[in-house]
Amino acid sequence: MGRSRRIAVTLLLALIAMLAAAASAPAQPKYGGHLNLMQREDLPQGFAVHESSTISTSFPSMPCFNNLVIFDQSKRAETVDNLVGELAEKWSWQDNYRNLVFFLRKNVKWHDGQPFSSKDVKFTFDMLREAPDAAAKLRINPRKDWYSNVEAVEAPDPSTVVFRLKRPQPGFLVMLASGYTPIYAAHVNPASYRTGCIGTGPFKVKEWRKGEYVDYVKNPDYFIKGRPYLDSLRYVVIKERGTRTAALQAGQLDVSFPGETTKTASEQLKKAVPGLVITPVGTAVNDNIIINTKKPPFDNPKVRLAVSYAIDRRALITAVHQGGAVPGASQPPKPYGVWGLLEKDLLALPGYGKPEDMKAQARKLLADAGITAQNPLRVEMSTRAIAIYVDMASFVINELKQVGIEASLKQVETAQWHPLATRGDYQIGANLTGLGVDEPDANFNENYACGSPRNYSQYCSEEVMKLIEQQSQELNPQKRMQLVSTLQKKVEADAARPVLDWRLDYFTMWPYVKGLVPHDTIYNFGRMADVWRDK
Amino acid sequence: MATRPLGVEVPGVAMALRRPGPWTTLVRFCRKKPLGAIGGAIMVFMVVTGVFANQLATHDPIATDATQSLARPGPEHWLGSDHLGRDIYSRIVHGARVSLIVGIASTLLGSVLGGLIGLLSGYTGGRTDLITQRVMDILQGLPLLVLALVMSASLGPSIPNVVVAISIPIIPRAARVIRSSVLSIREMQYVEAARAVGLRHLRIAFRHVLPNTVGPFIVLCTAQLGSAILVEAALSFLGLGVPEPYPSWGRMLSVSAAEYAQKAPWLVLFPGLAISLAVFGSNLLGDALRDTLDPRLRGA
Amino acid sequence: MKTYIAQRLGVGALTLFGMSIVIFGMLRLAPGDIVDILFATGGYVNPSERAAIEKELGLDRPVTVQYVEWVRQILTGDLGKSYRYDLPAWEIIRPLIPVTLELAALSLIVSVLLGVPLGVISAVRQDTTLDYALRVFSLAGLSMPSFWLGMVIILGLVAWFGWIPPVTYVAPSENLPLHLVQFALPALAVGYRSSALIMRITRSSLLEVMREDYIRTARAKGQSGRVVIWRHALQNAILPVVTVIGIEFAFLIGGLVVTETVFNLPGVARFLVEAILWRDYPIVQNLVMFIAIVVILSNLFVDMLYGFLDPRVRYGH
Repeated sequence: MGRSRRIAVTLLLALIAMLAAAASAPAQPKYGGHLNLMQREDLPQGFAVHESSTISTSFPSMPCFNNLVIFDQSKRAETVDNLVGELAEKWSWQDNYRNLVFFLRKNVKWHDGQPFSSKDVKFTFDMLREAPDAAAKLRINPRKDWYSNVEAVEAPDPSTVVFRLKRPQPGFLVMLASGYTPIYAAHVNPASYRTGCIGTGPFKVKEWRKGEYVDYVKNPDYFIKGRPYLDSLRYVVIKERGTRTAALQAGQLDVSFPGETTKTASEQLKKAVPGLVITPVGTAVNDNIIINTKKPPFDNPKVRLAVSYAIDRRALITAVHQGGAVPGASQPPKPYGVWGLLEKDLLALPGYGKPEDMKAQARKLLADAGITAQNPLRVEMSTRAIAIYVDMASFVINELKQVGIEASLKQVETAQWHPLATRGDYQIGANLTGLGVDEPDANFNENYACGSPRNYSQYCSEEVMKLIEQQSQELNPQKRMQLVSTLQKKVEADAARPVLDWRLDYFTMWPYVKGLVPHDTIYNFGRMADVWRDK
Repeated sequence: MATRPLGVEVPGVAMALRRPGPWTTLVRFCRKKPLGAIGGAIMVFMVVTGVFANQLATHDPIATDATQSLARPGPEHWLGSDHLGRDIYSRIVHGARVSLIVGIASTLLGSVLGGLIGLLSGYTGGRTDLITQRVMDILQGLPLLVLALVMSASLGPSIPNVVVAISIPIIPRAARVIRSSVLSIREMQYVEAARAVGLRHLRIAFRHVLPNTVGPFIVLCTAQLGSAILVEAALSFLGLGVPEPYPSWGRMLSVSAAEYAQKAPWLVLFPGLAISLAVFGSNLLGDALRDTLDPRLRGA
Repeated sequence: MKTYIAQRLGVGALTLFGMSIVIFGMLRLAPGDIVDILFATGGYVNPSERAAIEKELGLDRPVTVQYVEWVRQILTGDLGKSYRYDLPAWEIIRPLIPVTLELAALSLIVSVLLGVPLGVISAVRQDTTLDYALRVFSLAGLSMPSFWLGMVIILGLVAWFGWIPPVTYVAPSENLPLHLVQFALPALAVGYRSSALIMRITRSSLLEVMREDYIRTARAKGQSGRVVIWRHALQNAILPVVTVIGIEFAFLIGGLVVTETVFNLPGVARFLVEAILWRDYPIVQNLVMFIAIVVILSNLFVDMLYGFLDPRVRYGH
């Protein structure tokens, strides 16, 4: 080839390469625009995230607040490696995971102009852990147990906060990254969050029309320069499921609500509007059966185990979720969670083997307790009077019938569900549990620890308590993983609260929405600072 | 069959004195009021469906079948199936039983109670009447659905409770109708005569006045039945009506139906048509009965 | 006249008093209260925290004390605070009232515009196929569950046109055409239902009047048939129709509840259902009383209108 030809070819190739790079390069974020999101109900307690345990509060409040640290909003997986600092610039564990030091950002302002400092962090966490000298008190404090290991919170200077723990707890940092751990302002009354929101977040609350919508407007003084991209947000309340889906399809809403889109609904949406972007993600919400361990017949562990054997997990996933769920034990399963059991361990659990074998095993266990087809066990299955609970309960009742347990369905209104469950005023119940964060400390202390108000089964095992303590302090990640696995297997063997499946969400967005990445839990994304519109 | 005619054979008169048998009445009614006849036929059809639900259904209405999720209407599922694979046709057939039982029971309960109150209040008159009327006004002033909602929330989800909840708004409406009927009858000659003879009031009320309120009562019942079925549907739709596992037409229309409606419009169409048909039938029948039995009440 | 009004208002006040007791009692019959619901959103239960909130909201006082306190508040014009939102009830309810009133008014207009002409046609062509067809059409409206009609409309729209009316309230000042579009469909859904009763009344009262002697006389005298109907008959048939319109207004509320929910309109009815589910006593109690007052006043208005239109009826009741 002649020299000039070689040059020409090289130039041509270079040109092609550049064009290819330009075409595949991500589009540049555009500023401005408005986004319409939805809520399935109005905020129950306004923006008082610390007094609430429902995504109906946490998701619409995300744009208002900041945490010390949070899971990277642009990455789907929530792990300790994906933590990024928000109000904290840097942090470090000291003294073998006993003290956690945060170095806070400077020049951060609250939405009312007041400066942010370590005082606000100390205020928030003293209030959460109900320290005796806390400056304020929460009316309802659902996550007090998350902070039971905190000895003291110190603010030696306006930009430094130190958490002194009673004993090492490597998982503590992850718990601070949850959407349920925003920082409140020390200079306002915590009760004021029930009607409005003074935060440091990328958006300010412009208006909250009760029962209708929440309007947010861009925070021009946000501490990350150049963010947020959007000018405004609106979270619209639509109670009717059909109307919600229709609104999303018609383009009046741009984004679905986390955890609300089933597989079948997403297929329908995609068929109607092929351009919609659908991302299947985990939710950290599981279906489980709560069993009253204090009253006969379920005080007999064999009978409880029979219940677990009787329920074919895979059939449930197909029947109730049309495939939109995955099997798992008490921690979210891989790849949606970090602590999920290995495949072989999961398959060895009750309810995962061949259906006939599982049911036969269940019948054998029941026969040991004197329950047979001729002498069936009659119980009442309680559940909340909501479709998703009732569908699941109906399936379970069907399964139990096949092994000799005749369960009748009793629907309980929302207001009475928790008191009833906490009182132990039930025999067996179909339940849903959402994990605020994929962290065994939070999960096991809430749901399996002796005396915890959300341990509805009133399950109390010394061995389990020891294991919980042990894994909480274990600094070696592999060893901790093993302990958590043992823990999961043990609680499934005791069958006080057998886990049936973990729900998936088919998060749906219009294609012009960029920068919004759903996570594998529904509670910890939605800050909206990096979201922009391409149209 | 016609009763025996008088011994004297007088053409024309004998015919006039023979009481028409029930079959003749029915045929005459059908001919004169074809719409009413259609309404009656629909109601009979619904009742028969409800009674023979077990025989008419093709599947177990509460059995789920994941492989059949959202199946189109076809030979396997005549009216399709829902997201859990339950057969819609069988659920509608069993739903007829539930909806009709709830509708009829609550209508009867409310109408009978209200009717008794109206009867006694209208007959007694005076202060008792005045006070009772005010109490009825109070109950009636509360919007029907709201009243049923609050009652349902108070009592909790179960079929007897739903029946009670729906019957309560019917009571004042029934009382009003029966009372006005009683008021007009009370002044009639034969009641005065009965009193003159010295019959006790209660006896007069029940023996003489009551039978004459039967006409308005029947009209009232058929009118309220349609309304009761609709209220039950609305309550179930809002989540406060008939609980699982009983299939209820109203509940079949809530949540899941709306969500999957575009993929499976039969989820929304058929239960709604069933409700409409039942109410339509009872309204047609009620209208015709009203025209026949008590033309004065036309349009009340 | 004045005594009549005074008498009616007096009776109305008595009725309201009775209703206040009934609604107050029934609400508290329902198991669970706002505190239970608050804890339900918190996901746990704690007796001491519960007691503290009860005290804060005044729910720990004896029921009779609470009732007296409520009545006292109403009489001084204070509608209390919402338990859920911790804001004055009036502040929350006020923007909702115009929405519901507008929907109710539009529905009534639709029902009259639909019902009266259909009733007239049906009466004039009594017992013909047209009559039957119209009666069936009208009755179908009465038979359909209003929430179903609403659902079918929305689903049909989105399936065929990919469009639904706006899901957030569009104020008339913002965008009048869009506002009217937003209200048109729900008004049609509710109005179709009400039109049935009005059509029926119009038809039957027109039929009755048409049999009257003077009509026959007028026709015998040779005046054009149509003029006869429209002038004489309609004038007299108007009375029962007006009464029914008054009654229908109260019936509307039920239809409004589900329609507002399905079409996502921020009205009083939708809010009332929420408040009932939340056991937000101040809101429910005050809203129900408000509706009752409106109904009583509208009944009084209708009766007076009736009296005005028909002098024979003026003082009897």
